[in-house]
Amino acid sequence: MDTVAQLDHRFTVAAYAITWAIQLGYVAWLALRWRAQRRATKR
Amino acid sequence: MKKILFGLYAGITVLLMIWGFYQAIYVAPDEQTMHEIQRIFYYHVPSAMVAFLFFAISLAGSIGFLSFRGSRQSWAQIADAWALAAAEVGVVFCTVVLITGPMWGRRAWGIWWTWDARLTTTLVLWLIYVSYLLLRRFAAGPQVQTLAAVLGIFGALDVPIVYMSNRWWRTQHPSPVFGGGQDSGLAPAMLHAFGWNVLAWLAWGLLILILRFFVERRQQKIAEDEAQAALNA
Repeated sequence: MDTVAQLDHRFTVAAYAITWAIQLGYVAWLALRWRAQRRATKR
Repeated sequence: MKKILFGLYAGITVLLMIWGFYQAIYVAPDEQTMHEIQRIFYYHVPSAMVAFLFFAISLAGSIGFLSFRGSRQSWAQIADAWALAAAEVGVVFCTVVLITGPMWGRRAWGIWWTWDARLTTTLVLWLIYVSYLLLRRFAAGPQVQTLAAVLGIFGALDVPIVYMSNRWWRTQHPSPVFGGGQDSGLAPAMLHAFGWNVLAWLAWGLLILILRFFVERRQQKIAEDEAQAALNA
């Protein structure tokens, strides 16, 4: 694999990984809010 | 029963995401000039499509809120919850677009960013909806929902400008892949992978939109209960 192909591969992997980090991070934040609300309603 | 259906939908969505990833990485052929970096397209473009759809839902919710706020308060609150949920999930998808796009651009053009019409209008769209979310988060008072609805309507006006920008003006951004004249379009194998990813990201987007809607409805209920408790005290 030449340098250009290696860099292309790294950028593609990074783009996919960042996409999933953003999406799953948002879902985790939603889950935290959901749990906080459940605690608030129990009080 | 609702929980089972939702779980089933979530399961199908996860399978679609795995299938979409497999199609994008292993099945779609290498593009002739850009090679592997072109595979960012299978995440970048569906994310933009879902963001546009959700900003349109936010527009409908904002119009609904303004229409019902004087007559049917419960309907207005539901419309407002949809507007906020769709704006927030739309910003998540638009963020993905604004990060994956420059990563592709760095390899394809040699630059991370240029102030061309498509990129600039997309950034403006993102900024408008981020300001919408900041308004919802930090402003207080009875007019916040109304102000946010108006901002949401104006924000949505940027969506058709973003869509048409590389048709109206000469841009660094590639010309439209779909509906862009005789030379536009995708090879059938790429189209297949692209279609699966559009379906997968749409299913994922709707899943988190529904979750966000229920979080907001619960928040409205908590705020109502607190207001009622304060009145009774």
